[in-house]
Amino acid sequence: MAQLFRPGANSIAVIVIVALFAGPAAAIAFAYFLWNSPYATDQNLTRAQPVPFSHLHHVGELGLDCRMCHTGVEKAAFAGIPSTHICMTCHSQIWTNAQMLAPVRASYASGKPLHWQRVNRVPDYVFFDHSIHVAKGIGCNVCHGPVQKMALMRQAEPLTMGWCLECHRHPEKYIRPKDDVFDMYWHQPFDQLEVGAKLIRQYLIHTDHLTDCSTCHR
Amino acid sequence: MSAAGGTKERWIEGIGSLEEINARICAPVLNPAHTWRWWAALAFSGSLTLLMLGSVGWLFGHGIGIFGNNTTIVWGFPIANYVWWLGIGHAGTLISALLLLTRQKWRGSLNRFAEAMTLFAASMAGLFPIFHLGRPYYLYWITPYPNVQGLWPQWRSALVWDLWAVGTYITFSALFWYVGLVPDLAMLRERASSRWARRLYGAFALGWRGSARHWEVHERFYRYMAALAVPLVVSVHSIVSLDFAASLEPGWADTIYPPYFVIGALYSGFAMVVVLAAALRWGCSFEPFVTRRHFDMIARVLLAASIIMGISYATEWFWAWYGGERTERHLITFLFTGPYAPLYYGQLLFNVIVPQAFWLPRVRTNIAPVVIISIFINVGMWLERILIVWSTLSRDYLPSAWRIFLPTFWDWALLTGSLGAFMFLFLLFVRILPAMPAHELRKLWIEENTP
Amino acid sequence: MPSLKPPSGLDRRVALKLLAAGMASAMARCSRPDEEIIPYADMPEGLVAGEPMRFATTLSLAGYGRGFLGISIDGRPIKIEGNPNHPFSLGATDIFAEAGVMSLYDPDRSKAIRRGDTISTWGAFSSAWRHATHAQDGQGLALVTGRVVSPTTLARIGALKNRYPQSRWYRYEPVHDDAARAGARQAFGKVVTALPNWADADVVVALDANPLGHGPDELRIARAYAARRGKAAKRQRIHVAESIWSLTGAAADVRVAVTPAHLVEIARAIANACGAHLGTPELPDFAKAFADRAGQELLAARGRALVLAGDSQPAEVHALFHWTNAQLRAPVSYLPSQDIVENDHAYELCALANDLHAGRIQTLIVADANPVYDAPDSLRIAEGIATVPFSAHIGLYRDETAHGCRWHLPMSHALESWGDERALDGTASIVQPLIQRLYATRTRDDYLAWLANEDVTKAYDLVRKTWQRGAPEAVEASWRKALNDGVIANTAATPLSLPVDRVSDFPGMSRPRGMSAVISPDPSVWDGRYANNAWLQECSKPFTKQVWGNAVQIAPGDAQRLGIEDEDTVDVTIDGKTITAPAVLMPGQADGTIGLHWGQGRLEAGRIGSNIGVRVCGVGARPFARVINGAALQKSASTVPFRSTQAHTRLQGKMEQLFQIATPSEIARTSPKKENRAPSLLPVPPKGDYAWAMVVDTDACIGCNACVVACQAENNVPVVGPEEISQGRDMHWLRVDSYMRPHGYTERRGFQPVPCMHCEYAPCEPVCPVEASVHDHEGLNVQVYNRCIGTRFCEANCPYKVRRFNWFDYSGEQAYADEGVALKAQHNPDVSARGRGVMEKCNYCLQRISRARKTAEKENRKIAEGEMVTACQAACPTRAIHFGDLNRADSDVSNLRKAAQHYTLLEELNTRPRTTYLKRIFNSDENG
Repeated sequence: MAQLFRPGANSIAVIVIVALFAGPAAAIAFAYFLWNSPYATDQNLTRAQPVPFSHLHHVGELGLDCRMCHTGVEKAAFAGIPSTHICMTCHSQIWTNAQMLAPVRASYASGKPLHWQRVNRVPDYVFFDHSIHVAKGIGCNVCHGPVQKMALMRQAEPLTMGWCLECHRHPEKYIRPKDDVFDMYWHQPFDQLEVGAKLIRQYLIHTDHLTDCSTCHR
Repeated sequence: MSAAGGTKERWIEGIGSLEEINARICAPVLNPAHTWRWWAALAFSGSLTLLMLGSVGWLFGHGIGIFGNNTTIVWGFPIANYVWWLGIGHAGTLISALLLLTRQKWRGSLNRFAEAMTLFAASMAGLFPIFHLGRPYYLYWITPYPNVQGLWPQWRSALVWDLWAVGTYITFSALFWYVGLVPDLAMLRERASSRWARRLYGAFALGWRGSARHWEVHERFYRYMAALAVPLVVSVHSIVSLDFAASLEPGWADTIYPPYFVIGALYSGFAMVVVLAAALRWGCSFEPFVTRRHFDMIARVLLAASIIMGISYATEWFWAWYGGERTERHLITFLFTGPYAPLYYGQLLFNVIVPQAFWLPRVRTNIAPVVIISIFINVGMWLERILIVWSTLSRDYLPSAWRIFLPTFWDWALLTGSLGAFMFLFLLFVRILPAMPAHELRKLWIEENTP
Repeated sequence: MPSLKPPSGLDRRVALKLLAAGMASAMARCSRPDEEIIPYADMPEGLVAGEPMRFATTLSLAGYGRGFLGISIDGRPIKIEGNPNHPFSLGATDIFAEAGVMSLYDPDRSKAIRRGDTISTWGAFSSAWRHATHAQDGQGLALVTGRVVSPTTLARIGALKNRYPQSRWYRYEPVHDDAARAGARQAFGKVVTALPNWADADVVVALDANPLGHGPDELRIARAYAARRGKAAKRQRIHVAESIWSLTGAAADVRVAVTPAHLVEIARAIANACGAHLGTPELPDFAKAFADRAGQELLAARGRALVLAGDSQPAEVHALFHWTNAQLRAPVSYLPSQDIVENDHAYELCALANDLHAGRIQTLIVADANPVYDAPDSLRIAEGIATVPFSAHIGLYRDETAHGCRWHLPMSHALESWGDERALDGTASIVQPLIQRLYATRTRDDYLAWLANEDVTKAYDLVRKTWQRGAPEAVEASWRKALNDGVIANTAATPLSLPVDRVSDFPGMSRPRGMSAVISPDPSVWDGRYANNAWLQECSKPFTKQVWGNAVQIAPGDAQRLGIEDEDTVDVTIDGKTITAPAVLMPGQADGTIGLHWGQGRLEAGRIGSNIGVRVCGVGARPFARVINGAALQKSASTVPFRSTQAHTRLQGKMEQLFQIATPSEIARTSPKKENRAPSLLPVPPKGDYAWAMVVDTDACIGCNACVVACQAENNVPVVGPEEISQGRDMHWLRVDSYMRPHGYTERRGFQPVPCMHCEYAPCEPVCPVEASVHDHEGLNVQVYNRCIGTRFCEANCPYKVRRFNWFDYSGEQAYADEGVALKAQHNPDVSARGRGVMEKCNYCLQRISRARKTAEKENRKIAEGEMVTACQAACPTRAIHFGDLNRADSDVSNLRKAAQHYTLLEELNTRPRTTYLKRIFNSDENG
């Protein structure tokens, strides 16, 4: 009777068998890199805002201090988005009728707040507290990036749990003197690791507790 | 047993030629007779399978609150079903492997479908732990894989051990089964009429030509696998038993658990083999291959197992009394007098008392009683599994937490559904693959017919 | 609100989901929606977003005010805590106060003015009022309220009286004190409030009195009770004779259970012991023995001895005990009653009924009272109201009375109102709103002022007007102080010194035919006004552990006689009326008595409280009688489910070690036990700066459940509802186990609050396949909800069974779970809301620890002793819950763990719990 298979069948068989093992491995690898990619983490994503507020202008050029607008950052978990009132402290004097600021003036007049789109966000089950990080010498730009260079605010870091843990495991790599926390142009000293270790002792940071689940989840 | 294996009587009756063996074995696949039985059975089991799928949908939609579990009895049917199904899944590979190594002649007629049974039962078992999860869509968190959280499973947990034990067992059983199938697939390749069927069987036959070298390599490889399989079989249910034994709950934290579970597993597995053997014998007219002597042999195994089970139960009672631990003692009294007592007496009756009938040769060598008792045994073993879960959780340390489990419709639906699905898969199996290892039976027939 | 539910996502995200076989939604935090941040347009002074603020306010119970602190975050009150400054809170709370926030956000609250069933307007009502048919001088105008002691409200009622001189004010409180009032009249010739100074008493004899039970005076007494339990203090001896179990009875050192008739005889015996010659009491031996012993001890402790008669006792007994206390020079202060109405409560309600039926009322205003529900059927109040041409109901809910009236006006909740209240001793405090009113409601004072056409009708102005004293700037200062302290300085009444008339005759009680029904307010929903509060409905009653309903408590003796089993449904027939409810057998209850509770069986309570349990207040001729004789009991044909959270309470044999009791002498003899340090196979728990631990003093615990509700409020613990409870499912992180141990002719009962034990060698940890149950460096055994996949192995392996599983989406879609958007506003934003399929449990109020730690670390210091207080600890009126750091050798918990009465639950398992217990001590040397 006629041949069932052509000679090529053998190589096909081999390929299939190899694929049985290689396939899943490849899939996992692909998935892992995808989860880490900005596509999944929203890194570098900017969002449309009611007012195209420019940190580049206010921080980079005018050199305003973060705390001028983000009033809660030293007191509370939530750094705080400035109330319209705060915007108007300046803009009742300057750019009083700039088209760009119309929504702000409207809000001020009506008392209806502005609706901003959140850029940096962690999931609801993560309890992040700005005040303690600021108090223990973690600079704004460690997580928020070079804000003074951002014409529109964007998410500078992946904000994945692995990324958080990197710093919670090795705070000495990132910690800086409290006075420099709000300094956007601060650069790590060449002996950061020694300085960091010293600061950790000085600020009484309990490194063992930093990686407990209960530090961020409850 | 080996003595019985070596007697003058034959394991294959009323077969004239090798060709007749091949023909009979290929018949259900290539030109089946009285197919209405098969279709009826398929329809029945198919509807049960739909019931299972339906309840799974309902389960995932509404959450496991649909089961009868409560605050203290947090485990229920799914866990018991898991242990029970996995137990049934034990007989196949053990028959193939252990009996192969010990050169038991009566193995030949049973191993193929017993291994199939193993696969299907183990798959059923594998499903239930998923059904019982609060958030099944995160099942994969139990596996080690690189992730952005930088987290790993916890290797101390018996559930993680389960994953690997059961995973390994299913994979290995499948391979073992497939390796045994290869020569018969080649046979089907030759006999199948349609070109596509021949190509399909051919593809899976991996170019088997039946050359002396093929046979020699196959033989050796098969034996090596058997040698690996035996410790594996023993390990799997030992590890499953640790789900309970590696706790500190009264009635669970017992050192007897691993052997106790393994024997129990074989016990229920062999019982299921009896049922399926009878079904095949009747449905595919395999009378020549599955003889009264086969049932006799299995009945002896069951008898031995039932005695061991009895001893295990007695051991539990003794240690509860002798250990004097408040909770352990209370648990035993609870089993005999509490609301679950009828179930417990049922368990003892079915698993220990009834099988003693096998002492009588008349019972052993009659197919009907053996099958009936085997069904009892399967019920009894399920009762044992559910009571292991219920009784301990219903009565542990603090009386303020004592509760009773009341099963819901969905508990039953999922159990019966899984039975249906199992039957469904098995029915498909007998129509697609040879339910008997033709090449082994041919060998056996030659041995028996050469003076 | 934090939530673990996988959120619905953008299409791009859905692609990601599919890629991971549809399972990966929460991995790598993908599939989340965009989120808005909405800042204030103009930030309020002093508010920091997301940070809690405390405000003093006042909540009332039975008309008497008690000062509390409301915790509010971003302008939302989320929790009530005690106000240390207020003499009737002293920093503690009870279940009603804790559940206040739940009532505030209750979606079933009345939101609109109604005429009949249709929503109406204020305009429509006011015109209708103008055409109301009562005469100009108020002839035929009737006002019905509960007990009113609030100065501002009294002023309104006064104004109404001025405007309508002929109008009549009917005031009645369902849970009344008529017997005490009558007794005072007999003894002193006038109504006075007698406040026992509990802490000053060495011997207390209570006759069916329940000072430790719920009521306006509970917290003050409980604090004093606790003060006398400590190691230092000379122990008090408490004798209690009662018919059915009360919290005071459970707290007693010596207790007998006798019928109401015998109680009166015991009173006679005790009075005789103190020098009254009232003839020989006829008592069974054990009761006589009790009376004799109590009498002797009272005399021995003269000056520091105290007798108390309960509301169930006839006026004669109250009078007799006033006399007895005088003989004993008992530590009791007599104060002028704040309840200025001369008539008794029952009398007032009957008067209302008569006037209604006699047609003497044309215009009826029912302000925050519910006579249609709570008056006895014999008064036929509903029919009476139906005959009134103009009737209006003012209330929180559109309840039974609201349905009976022509008009209904929605009332504001105390937490959104301005007002004032007085406490039992007259201490005044301001009712301060913590939030803008949620709906178009007004306060009772608003409405009354309007009805009296006063010029001022804003609640705030009315209160300010009440407290205008002295110069303007002084007024402003004192006002600010009052708001800040939660108490208005020197407003407490000065004690009176009263001569007591010599008791002449003392009529015995006629032997009752049939059984005696002994009725008390429901331990969870009081007189029914809290029936729609899901937290309270699901708060298990101290002795029966029943939830979502009420039961008939009967003595085992009677049960045997009548062939009634536990949880059978029974019919209780009183004056031809039949009550059908499940029976619960109560060892230690007097034979021939039936225990019943008011407050259930509401028809128009709301979606939560309607048609739960059976209405008891309808029976009997006298309104709100505490004892009704001639009751008949029999097995019922119908069946009513009995829903409880604990089926087994009796401890015998080896199980007695679960709830350990001792006598002072035993304690003196035992030396502190060495802590179990047996080796374990489990990894050694990590050590950190703090080692948090809790010690629960079962000797101080009175089983009031305040901790349970406090925990529920603090930790967003969902309500599961009666169906789930019947399934055996509950969610309370902290449960109060109720145990009884046979003791001579009666039983001894005690309570054991069981939160998570936070075992150092936690059995739940090694079994979790994904490390969702882990230890942190401060000794906490924490549950990581967002990591949990719901194998429930942890709960299966927990010997204490303290873990709770979300079988359904309790915090989301379930019917009873936090129904309505409004309730979400109560959620504590510092605590995750747990989604379906996740295990949860007590975490020692991790959010509070975290807050305390951050505060301390910002100041470069450690958390001070006593700085970190758990919610249950803060609530506890007897300070039975101690919490602190074991790393400090001098900390409270460290010392208590060395105490002689310290023990560990299931110590033999070597789990090394961080939560441990102190033995219950019975100050009586007959060993039990």
